[in-house]
Amino acid sequence: MANPIDPAQTSPSSTSPPPAPATQQSTPDMSSQQPSSQPPQPSNGASKPAKPPKQPKSKDAPPAAGGAPGEEKLSPAELKKKAKAEKAARRAKERAEREASGGAGPGPNAAPPKKGSIGSGAGGKEAPGQPYKGQRHRRGSGTQPSATEQKKKQEDKNVAVFGHLYGQPRRTTIAGAGKEVHPAVLALGLQMRDYVVCGSSARCVATLLAFKRVIEAYTTPLGTSLSRHLTTHLSHQITYLSTCRPLSISQGNAIRALKLAISSIDPSVPEASAKATLSDFIDNFIREKITVADQVIATSAAEKIQDGDVIVTFAGSSIVKQTLLTAYKQGKKFRVSIIDSRPLFEGKSLARTLANAGLEVQYSLVNGISHAIKDATKVFLGAHAMTSNGRLYSRVGTALVAMSAKERAGGVEVPVIVCCETVKFTDRVALDSIVVNEIADADELVPSQPLKQVTGLPDLTDEADAKKGDSKKGGNKAAANAPPAESTPLPEGSSPLANWKETPNLQLLNIMYDVTPAEYVDMVVTEMGSLPPSAVPIVHRMSTNL
Amino acid sequence: MPSTSVPLTPGLASFLRSLKTNPIDTSIDNLISLLKRRQIRHSRSCATATAYLLLRVISACRTTDATKLIERVQSVGRRLVAAQPKEMVVGNIVRRVLGLIRDEAEDDREADFNLSEAGSESQPQTPRALDDPSEALSGRFEGSDRGSSRPPLSQPAPISMFSLLSHPEPESSLPGTPASASPSGRLLGHVQSKDIRAEVLEGVNEIIDELGQVDDQIAAYALDHIHSNEIILTHTSSTTVQKFLLKAAAKRKFTVIHAEAYPNNHEATHATVSGNSAGDDEILSTESFQKPLIALGITVILIPDSAVFALMSRVNKVILGTHSVLANGGLVASAGTRVIARAAKVHHTPVVVVSGVYKLSPVYPFDFDSLIEYGDVSNVIGYEDGDLVDQIDVQNPLYDYVPAELIDLYITNLGGHAPSYLYRIVSDHYRKEDISF
Repeated sequence: MANPIDPAQTSPSSTSPPPAPATQQSTPDMSSQQPSSQPPQPSNGASKPAKPPKQPKSKDAPPAAGGAPGEEKLSPAELKKKAKAEKAARRAKERAEREASGGAGPGPNAAPPKKGSIGSGAGGKEAPGQPYKGQRHRRGSGTQPSATEQKKKQEDKNVAVFGHLYGQPRRTTIAGAGKEVHPAVLALGLQMRDYVVCGSSARCVATLLAFKRVIEAYTTPLGTSLSRHLTTHLSHQITYLSTCRPLSISQGNAIRALKLAISSIDPSVPEASAKATLSDFIDNFIREKITVADQVIATSAAEKIQDGDVIVTFAGSSIVKQTLLTAYKQGKKFRVSIIDSRPLFEGKSLARTLANAGLEVQYSLVNGISHAIKDATKVFLGAHAMTSNGRLYSRVGTALVAMSAKERAGGVEVPVIVCCETVKFTDRVALDSIVVNEIADADELVPSQPLKQVTGLPDLTDEADAKKGDSKKGGNKAAANAPPAESTPLPEGSSPLANWKETPNLQLLNIMYDVTPAEYVDMVVTEMGSLPPSAVPIVHRMSTNL
Repeated sequence: MPSTSVPLTPGLASFLRSLKTNPIDTSIDNLISLLKRRQIRHSRSCATATAYLLLRVISACRTTDATKLIERVQSVGRRLVAAQPKEMVVGNIVRRVLGLIRDEAEDDREADFNLSEAGSESQPQTPRALDDPSEALSGRFEGSDRGSSRPPLSQPAPISMFSLLSHPEPESSLPGTPASASPSGRLLGHVQSKDIRAEVLEGVNEIIDELGQVDDQIAAYALDHIHSNEIILTHTSSTTVQKFLLKAAAKRKFTVIHAEAYPNNHEATHATVSGNSAGDDEILSTESFQKPLIALGITVILIPDSAVFALMSRVNKVILGTHSVLANGGLVASAGTRVIARAAKVHHTPVVVVSGVYKLSPVYPFDFDSLIEYGDVSNVIGYEDGDLVDQIDVQNPLYDYVPAELIDLYITNLGGHAPSYLYRIVSDHYRKEDISF
C-alpha cells in the first residue's frame, strides 16, 4: 500500500473530468477484465442499460469479437458456472461499493495509476473527462474474482523488470473511441498502431496535420471560449492516439507547443481567425521544426560524408535516408551498410529507397553487426529522442551498433553521428533502457509464417511421402505434397512459439527502444548545428524558451 | 513415419548407418560431400562423423606399421579438412587420432627399445628427432624422451597427460597401472608384434564416448557457476548450454533471457525455449529429447537479438555456446555472439563459454575473416523481397570471431579455465607435429 487513499482514486465515481491518473488506472483493469466479463454481458444487458456504450471501450478486439459467438454455444453446465460467477461478481461489486462509500479506495489498484502516464508520455497528462468513468469503474470491481485470475495470467507473461511498462494493450479497433475523436485522428491512430506511420518525425507531422483538420472542423460550443475548450477537445484526440501507441517525445513536444499556442489566443479573437492562426502555427511548426530542420540536418550531415566512406546505419531513419541521398546527389562516392532488426525490418525500405536511388547498399541483420562495422568509417544513426543527459533514445539495437563502432577490436574508433531534430530533445533523463521504454505486442515476435523454401530441397516429409508414393507407383506429386501437415508434430505454418501464451514460464519481450550511452555518441547533428551530446539540455532549453 | 524419413535425409544419422555397409572409400567421399554440402553441420555432428569414419579407416587399414597408419589417417584427414575448413572440429578429431597413433607407436617402440634395442624403427624415428627441440620447448614430456637417458620414467607422461581427465584408461589393455608400475607392466604385458591398431581403435572409441558425454560432463560444473535468483543471458539453441542450465535448474531457481539468434538459428531457439519442436532439426532427432527449461519452473524470456544491450544491465551472467575455440582463447561462435560478449563487457557482466574440449582447436587466428562462414541470404531477405536481392548486397554471416579479452571463463569437460590457459589444454591434447598435418 504505497499510497493508500489517493484523491484521484476516490474521485472517479463523482463528477465530470477526473484527473488523468485515475483514467489511466482504470483502463488497464478494464482491458484485463474484458475477456472474462464479456460473455455474460449480452444476457443481462437489459438489466444494465448503461453497458452497451461502454463495451466498445475494449482495447481488445479479439475477445470482444469472440464474445458474442461464444455466447451462443454454451452448454448448460457452462451457463450454470457463468451464473454463479455473475452472482459472485454482483456480491463483490456490492462489497466494493460499500467499501468505496466507506472511504476505503480500491486499495490493490493504488499502484497502477503511474503506469499509464509513463507509457503515454505527454498526452497522458491531458486525459479528458470520461462520461462512463464511474460505471466503468464499478463494473471493473464487479468482475473482480475472475479479473484477478486473468490479471495473474497476464502478469505471468509480463517480464518482471518491465512490469511498470505494461499499461493497457494497444487499441485494436476504433470501436469506443468516443464521438469527439475526429475521423482523421481515428485513422491516424490505427496507422500508428500498425506502424504504417512510423518513426518519430513522421508521427509528429502526421499528428499535427490531423490536429489541423480537427481544428478546422472545430466549432466552439456556446458558453465557452476557443482557447479554453479546444484544449480539452484536443485532449480527447490525444488520449485516443496514446491508446493506439504511446506518444513519441516529438509528438509530446509538438502537442505542448500547440497547446501553448492555443492558450495564448486572446478569447476576444473571433473563432475563424483564431483557427486560421492555429493552422498557420501548425504549418509553421512542421516547416520549421521538421521539414526545414531535416534539410538543414541532411545538408550538414552530408558534409561529413567523404568519398570512399562506408556508412553504417541502423534500421530506417528518415533523416539518415535524407542525409545519404543528399550526399549522393552531391556526387560523393560512398557505400552504405544497413543493419536491420526484427520484428519491424525498417531497414528494408531504407535499403530499397537507397538502392533505387543508385547507392551501393549492403544489408545485414543484427547478427552481422561486427562484420558490417569492420570496414565502416562512419556510423549515422537516427534518433527517437535525445535525453537531457545526452543519451540517445532510439530503436532497440542502436546501442549495439554504437557500441560496436566504439569498441572495434584493435581498430580505430568509428565516429558515431546522430541526426536529430531539436523537436526530439526532451528534458527527461534516462540511465538505462528499462525505466523508460515502450513495450510492443510480443506476438509480433512470433513468426507468422515459417520461411518456406520455394526452391531447393523439398521438405523432409514431402520427400518421404513422395518416396512412398513412388514405391506404390501412385507417385502423384500434388497428392504427395498434401499430407505432410499431419505428419509433423505441429501443424504446418505455426511456429513453436505459436501458443507461447499458454506455455507456462515462457515470456516474450518486445521492447521498442534502447538507450545508447552518451560516450558512444560523438556528434549530434541538429538544425541548430552540430553538438556534442552534452549540449542537448542547453539546446533543448533554448529551443523551448524561444 | 519419422523413422522412415530419417535415413532419407542426408545427414549424420544416414551417414553413420551407411558407414557400416559402404566400402571405406565411398564413406570418405560420402562424408566429404556431406561436409561440403553442409548437410552435416554443428560441431558435434561433424566430430562424431569424423571419429566414426576414422574408426572405420583405421580398422580397414591392414597394416601394423604406425607410419603407414599415420599417413593414411593424415591423407583422409587432409581431405576432410579441405572439404570444410571452417568446421575446425574435423581437424581436431583427426589430430587427436593421429596423436593416439603416435602415442601407441611410441609405446610400442619403447617396448621394443627396452626389450631388444631393435633398430627397426629408425625410419619413423627420424621425423621424430626433428620435432624434439620444439617439443622440449613447449614443455611436453614425451618430446624429450628420445634424447633422455631414462625413457621408462618419462614414457607414461604422454598417455597420462593425454588422458588427463577425459580418458581414464587408454591403456586398459595393458596390465598394471601405467603410472606406478609402468616399466614392469609394460614389459610384461607387451607383445612385441602386437598390432597397435587395436589400441588406437580403443582410443578412438573413447573419443566417441567423450563426444557423447561431454555435455553432461560440462553440466556437472553447473552448480559451481550458477547461483540462486540469477538472471542469465544466453544465445542460440546450443545443447551444451541447455544441458548446463538444466542441470542447475534442478537445484536452483533463476531466470534465463534467451536471445533468439534470428536469421540462422531462431527456429531451433524457439523450439528449445518452448519445448515443442516444430522443425525436425538434425540436432533434435539425433540427440535425446530433453525437457525445456520452462518445464523445470525456470522463467525464460525470449528476446530479439537487438534487445541485448537494453537488458544487459540486469543480467548477472552471460553463458554462451560456441562453434569452436581457438588456442589464443578467442572463439568462433554463431553470429551475434560478439556483440553480446561486448555488451556484457561494457556492463561488466561475466561471460562464460561452455564448450567441450573437442572444440578446442590449435589454430591460431591471424586472419579472422578466414574463420567466418557466410550463410544463406534468403534467411535475411525472403523471396517476397526478391527484387531487393538484385540491387543490394545482402550478408548473412554465420559466425563471429570473439576475441579472448571478451571472455571471462571457459568451462570445458575438464573444468573451468581462464582464456589465457587454453593454450595449455591445447598442447595437452594435440601433438605439435599434428598441428599442421
